[in-house]
Amino acid sequence: MNFFRYFVRRLVFIIPLLLGITVVAFIIANAIPADPINANLPPNALNDEETIAAFRKKWGLDKPLHEQYLTYLGNLLRGDMGTSIKWRTPVAEDIAKRLPATIELATLGIMYGVVLGVGLGLVSAIWKNSWADYIARVIALIGVSFPVFLIALVFLTVFYAQLGIAAGPGRLHILMRAPPTVTGMYTIDALLNGDWKTFGNALSHLILPALTLALYISGIISRITRSSLLEVLNQDYMRTARAKGLRERYVIGFHGMRNSLIPVVTVIGLSYGNLLVGSILIESIFAYPGIGFYMFRASTSQDFPAIMGVSLLFAFIYVGVNFVVDILYFFLDPRIRVA
Amino acid sequence: MSSISSISSSIHEFESPSRGQQALYHLRRNPLVLIGLIIATLWIVIAFLAPSTAPVEPLKQDLVNRLQAPNALFFMGSDELGRDIFSRVLWGSRITIPAGLAVIIIGSSLGVIIGAVAGYAGGLIDELLMRLTELFMAFPFIILAMAVTAALGPDIRNAVLALSAVWWPRYARILRGLVLEVKSQEYVEAAHSAGASGLYVLFRTILPNCIAPAVILATLDIGTAIISFAALSFIGLGPEPSSPEWGRMVSIGIDFFDQWWMWLFPGLAIASLVMAFNFIGDGLRDILDPRLRGE
Repeated sequence: MNFFRYFVRRLVFIIPLLLGITVVAFIIANAIPADPINANLPPNALNDEETIAAFRKKWGLDKPLHEQYLTYLGNLLRGDMGTSIKWRTPVAEDIAKRLPATIELATLGIMYGVVLGVGLGLVSAIWKNSWADYIARVIALIGVSFPVFLIALVFLTVFYAQLGIAAGPGRLHILMRAPPTVTGMYTIDALLNGDWKTFGNALSHLILPALTLALYISGIISRITRSSLLEVLNQDYMRTARAKGLRERYVIGFHGMRNSLIPVVTVIGLSYGNLLVGSILIESIFAYPGIGFYMFRASTSQDFPAIMGVSLLFAFIYVGVNFVVDILYFFLDPRIRVA
Repeated sequence: MSSISSISSSIHEFESPSRGQQALYHLRRNPLVLIGLIIATLWIVIAFLAPSTAPVEPLKQDLVNRLQAPNALFFMGSDELGRDIFSRVLWGSRITIPAGLAVIIIGSSLGVIIGAVAGYAGGLIDELLMRLTELFMAFPFIILAMAVTAALGPDIRNAVLALSAVWWPRYARILRGLVLEVKSQEYVEAAHSAGASGLYVLFRTILPNCIAPAVILATLDIGTAIISFAALSFIGLGPEPSSPEWGRMVSIGIDFFDQWWMWLFPGLAIASLVMAFNFIGDGLRDILDPRLRGE
């Protein structure tokens, strides 16, 4: 199968999935709350007939359910996710404003997480049952078992409050000004502006939350890497590779790693979901003004439209990332190309 | 699929006494399982005894002694309203353990039924149910649970319902595969030809032969369920703020960052419980699935 056909086939598969997600979101938003008006309008607007009528009209609440869904989908396609109860601003705008901060954090987090997770998994598979294996497995276990908000609080206490070697909450030092907005990601904007001081400060604010995210997702990545590599190491072709005199690091690097990578890539895609959830918990602790912090404040004040907006966005990102993972299979697994 | 059938076959052989001795042998070789069992049992005992052993009522306020660091009177310090953290942590187990178990029991039963029906019925029903399963798997599940809880209104029952409602897809998938495998066995055909009804065959003949992997998965999942419930509760979509629930206590503790005891002890309570269940689940899988044992 050539790449283009594979790509299109995957893409066709994804469209019903995205539509399905909007149906589920629609059902949650409009069918589950006893009264969508109560859930979506601020309490003081509930006495205001005009506001209620306008809300009914905009979301088509007086029409049959399938028409309501089409209205909902139409509004969504125009980028209208409703208005936040808490902040009285359009949810889509709020999200757009905060998204770059989260992308910046999540990217760094997943980079650290993959390096840490694959590294730990490699160490414990190659030196199975040695002390290095046990240490690596304990770290992985902490990542899986400790609630991420606890890790965040411990990191903040130790590295910021006690040792003072990492920057504290927020994205930048209070007295610093944000770099001129190009991408909305402070590190990149600062670099584009040639402002090394701001870059350094923004980066130092990212390190602790990104490390927390990394520890959180590396647990599962390292477990999969370990078991997948262990399985590959027992294969006949590994013995063959050694028998023909290849050096150990080529045996592991080329024959072992490559063949054990597929489940690892799958789990990295799946752990992107954890990453998004983790961002809610971590950003709220580091007072990092991204989507996660927004979601945290929305849910503590039961701001229903904002919660639905972020949920929908996260589901879309998740589907998008797993689409990319599917595409990666094409390059990692030659069997797909033959099939 | 082969790994699953090997799990299930090893479970069946497991029932003979020699396998029991082998289990003891593995338990000795796998001290983490033992540690997990001890910690989990301890927490369950604490949950039962909390009303009689906790030094103070979990909701009792003592404003004179607010924000006390751990001392002889308050083992784990006191919170912003002078409530005893130690007592609250003990009481918290009475919320978290049943909530986590309920999510697993409801969620996995739902998945087992959906998967079994899909696999057994086949055709259009199978197709519809599996597309639904894929759809639910497309959401990061806690996000979906958050949306559902927010829609239902935050409290413990709704948080448990929401988590259960998003928990089933993996079970449905596994069960469907197993049912497809077992369906073609001769003893199933025998049951049919003996005149047993479809439902009888599915629930009495087929299901008992595919339930074991679901049980292992459920054991592995208890820790995740507990941590997910704590996360929901942490962001305010669980029990009401005054409740002695661990996730909620940590969340309130953020505002009192320097009073580390307010968030550390409930956080460690979650971690120890989740770790205990992870030890048990991992060990169980290692023992029952020889492929992963890596001898």
